[in-house]
Parts: sequence; structure tokens; C-alpha cells
Amino acid sequence: MTAVLEVDHVTVAFGGVNALDDVELAVGEAEIHGVIGPNGAGKTTLLNVICGLAKCSSGQVRLMGTDITGRKPSDIARQGLGRTFQTSQLFQGMTVLENLVCGLHRRTKAGLLAAAFRTAAARLEEERTIEAARKALEFVGMEQFRDRPATMLSFGQQRVVEIARTLMAEPAIVLLDEPAVGLSLNRIAELDLLLRRIRDERGVTLVMIEHVIRLVMGVCDQVTVLSGGVRIAQGTPDAVRDDPDVITAYLGKELHARSDRA
Amino acid sequence: MFSAVLATLPPWLVGRRTLGYAALVAMIVLPLTANPYWLFVGNTLLIYVILATGLNLLVGFAGQLAFANAAMFGIGAYGTGLTQVDFGFPFFLAAPCGTVLAVGFGTILAFPALRLSGLYLGLATLAFAQIAQWVFMHWETVTFGAGGFKVPPVSFAPLPISDAKGLYYLTLLIAVVVVLLAANIVRSRIGRAFVAIRDGAVAAESIGIDLLRYKALAFGLSGLTAGIAGALYSGLLNFVAPESFDLFQMMMQKAMIVVGGLGSIAGSVIGATLLTLVLEALRGVKSWQEIAFGALLLGFVILVPNGLADFLRRHVPGWREPLIHPAFSGDIDATTTEPVPAPALPQIGAIGAEAITPAAPLLEGAARQ
Repeated sequence: MTAVLEVDHVTVAFGGVNALDDVELAVGEAEIHGVIGPNGAGKTTLLNVICGLAKCSSGQVRLMGTDITGRKPSDIARQGLGRTFQTSQLFQGMTVLENLVCGLHRRTKAGLLAAAFRTAAARLEEERTIEAARKALEFVGMEQFRDRPATMLSFGQQRVVEIARTLMAEPAIVLLDEPAVGLSLNRIAELDLLLRRIRDERGVTLVMIEHVIRLVMGVCDQVTVLSGGVRIAQGTPDAVRDDPDVITAYLGKELHARSDRA
Repeated sequence: MFSAVLATLPPWLVGRRTLGYAALVAMIVLPLTANPYWLFVGNTLLIYVILATGLNLLVGFAGQLAFANAAMFGIGAYGTGLTQVDFGFPFFLAAPCGTVLAVGFGTILAFPALRLSGLYLGLATLAFAQIAQWVFMHWETVTFGAGGFKVPPVSFAPLPISDAKGLYYLTLLIAVVVVLLAANIVRSRIGRAFVAIRDGAVAAESIGIDLLRYKALAFGLSGLTAGIAGALYSGLLNFVAPESFDLFQMMMQKAMIVVGGLGSIAGSVIGATLLTLVLEALRGVKSWQEIAFGALLLGFVILVPNGLADFLRRHVPGWREPLIHPAFSGDIDATTTEPVPAPALPQIGAIGAEAITPAAPLLEGAARQ
């Protein structure tokens, strides 16, 4: 089985500082892959390099075997990569439904003239898009919010709508940047369920940065741990949890040394 | 109170569509009754409707704070006028030439817009506008300098219609087509891509919207309308001079879309109509015209901060604005804010427990020891 996403010896240097240093990552199909690490470990930089928002100094990123290193974010999105952000990036001037309809942008075709004259083909495409958006809202259980302005949703609801928007174009892989940040325990449990359903029912691969360790350990198939821009561990949640380097990175050397003695 | 009165009227009598039809009928009838002065004012008004609609696509929908609109308008007028004077083109060939020139310059402005945004884009486009003004003024061998030049009147020769009325109806036809096509565009995937870029360029890119392509399209469309308007304006005045395309012109077009409502096609039409009439009414007080105009604008910004389209949307039953501007969404009417029951998600407890327990040792284990 070829990996959906391969990050191959990627280094990102900002001036003299290496935000990422020779990082490797391979994510298989329909896998939920967690990326964890202390603040400043380079997690968001890694996502930005993958989706094209940041340039890497060396190395290669491949999406389903195709080299996407250094391509424009919109091109990479068209290759089948979706992404959500730490802070809600819903389009504020649109309703929930309109936001979702936007998510299908890259799979719709109506050009300027077709749009300006509302040709039969453009109208049909519009109807199909709205139908798809309705289905996506149903999938995430938010159909009763369809006509609400995006600004009038709660924090957690905006998160879910944003995830639904990325699912609209049927991506092969979605990158999630801290989807659980600011959510209550109940909402995190709902998110856990939603992520599993996205993987199992839609066959979408997920790469998730997350600080809520219990979510990562519960839902992820594989976990990569970054610290100071270096990958210090990769494996199943259980293997990573017991890794001495990981415990050192999170808790510091001295404490780890003391726990060894005990 | 206003909305309560309107709610008692039959629905077909209120709303955007009715207002649009009424305005259209009024504009069709106008030349039959008006004297040449009012025909001129009506024609000017229609030209501003075209300008404001195109500018709103760029500024209100695509969110590009650009100040080159008067310069584009001027390029359209100069292109049309000069091809007639220099090459002897008839108006109906010269006008497309001027328009194409304006579209070309407009599209080129999308390139700085890729790197600059907000005030910086504003400054860059303002610089472009000043350069254009300077070229109109000082490249005398081509543009005839500050004094401007005369353009032959537009002839509708085989048709049994006077030149003035012919140009008026041509402008009306174009204005209606521009407004209808713009209204279609903003509720299509292209309009949504514009709004997506306005509301979050990074998120727009991440769902596959090509920034260069859609910024260029927005700049090109506003160049197109400004070019057409410039061509018609040169035909209306039979005269092209740099002072028609100065900072005041630029400000006035901006004011039209702000007063009418950013991100609203109906607002563009309303704003253009209102400000053209206000400006004409203030002609009597000559030296005070600009001061009075400024005071009026100030009043509008304070009293109707989100523009007239938003005011109408909130107070007229059934008045819809397809893509609401973020500034609008502060007070959406009560009908959309009633509480909605939370979505029922199955097995929260089970999943929660399973997901939460195994992770605990990572932190708690070490702390305990």
C-alpha cells in the first residue's frame, strides 16, 4: 500500500533556526495520524509545508506519490488535500450553507459567462452543489443550522462546519490544526466520534495536530512526536506513550530521571 | 415602526424586485418628459450606476481596497476619445477600444494586489491613480494636456432618435445588463470565491480558490465597467479632460458604494442614484458643494453605518441580500436567532469514556511517581 502522504527529509529554516529539521512522516490510507509535541515543536510549520503555505528549505512532500513540494496552496488543495485552522476560518459574510457550497469550489466548473448568464448548466451545477452541501451538513449533524450566518455559531459548531466544508470536495486527506482547542469534554467526545466516522465512512485520511492528549491517544492509529523541530518518536499511541524521549520532551530530564529512580 | 408599516402592504408592493421595476419604468419614461438638463442628469446617473456596480464587485465583494477606479474610468474615456480623434474611429468601434484598454490596466493591478492588502494596496492603487492623472495632464502630445479635447457627438444616424436620447437609451440598456449580470455573478461560485477571498484569503486558498485568478477577475470586471462607463461619459460630455477623473471623482464613486452598501448590487444602484441626485441638488450652492457633500456623507456613515441596502434588508420584509457583508451580521433580525436545539449525537458517554481513560497515564503516571 502506498502512503497517501509522505514527508521526506523536510527541513524548514527561518534564518539560522531550523523550525523543522530533517522530518519524516508517512501516513497510510484511512489512517488518523496524530502529531504532538510541546509548544514550538514545529507542528504547525509541518502542516503549513504540507499544504503549501510555507516553503521548505530541503526535502520533499508527496501526495499519493505526486511531488507537491513548493506548489501553490490552491493547487495542492485541488490535488485532494483539505485543511482546517487553529482559529475558525469560516467566511463570515456567508451562511453555513454558503460556506459549505464554497468548499466544493474546486470541483465545480461554471466560468464567468456561464455564471453571468445563469446558463442551464450553471444552474444545474448550483443545485447539485447545494444538495451536496445539505448532505455534508447532515453527515456532521448540523442541518438545522444551514441558514445561519457563520458568525452566529458557537466556537465548537464553527469547528465542525469548517471540517464539513473541507469534506465537501471529497479530499483524500485532511489536515486538522488543533480541532479540539477550546472545546468542553463533551464536545471533544463528539469530535472523537466525528473523526472516526470521517475515517470509516468516508475513507478520508486525517493528520491532526492536537494538544488534548486523551483525544490523540484515543482516536489516532499512529502518532508522531516532534520536539524542537525534530521527530523524536513515531508509532502507535501505546508505544509513543512509553517512549522515554517523549516523556523527557514533555516533562523535562530531571523529572524523568527522578521517575526512573522511583 | 418603518418595517411595521411596510409589513401591512401587500408583498408584491415592497421589496427589491418591485423597486427595481419601478426605477426601470421611471428611467424608460424620463426622456419623454424631461428637458435636456434632466436627460443629462439621468444619463450621468446611469453611468454612475455602471461604475458603482463594478466598483462594488471589487471593493465590497472581493474586498480589495483599491483607489484606481477614477483612473480606470479616465482610461476608458481617453481611450475612446483618442481613438476617435486620432484614428477617426466611429464611437461604436472606439468605445470597445477604450474599454479593452481599461480592462487591461485593471487586470495588471491585480498583480500588486497579490502581495499587498488593506491600506498598502490602497496606497499602491492611489499612486497608480495619481500617475494616470499626471499622464492625462502632462503627456500633451497624446492627451492634449490639462485643457482636454473635444470628441465628436455620438450619432445614431439610421435610427429616428436624437443623439442625446439615443445615448441615454444605450446607457440605460448597458446599465440594466451590467446590473443583472453582476447580480448573477455574485450569487454564483465566482461571487462566493470573491467573498471567500475577502473574508479569509488563507482559507480560500486551502479550499482550492486561486487568489491570482479571482483577484485578476475582480480587478478586470471593475476595469470593464469603468471602461464602459468612461466610453459613455466621453460620448455624453463630447469632451474629455483630466479634471473629470481626479480624487473627487474617485471619492464620489467610493462614497456611492459605502452609502448604498458594500457587498450589495442593489446598494450600488441605490447609492449611485442618491449621490448623483444629491450632487445635482447641491449645484446651486456652488462653492459649498463639496463641503455640503462631505457633511452629508458623514451623516450617512453615522446614521446608516452599513449602508442603505442593509437598512432596507432589516426593515423591508422579504428584502434579501445574497452574501451579507461581515459588518452586517452584527444584528441579524430576530427570526434567524431563535435557539436551535443542539444536534443529537449518539453514544457520547461510551465514546467519551473509552477515549479519555487510556490517555491519562502519560501525564498522571509520571506525576504520581
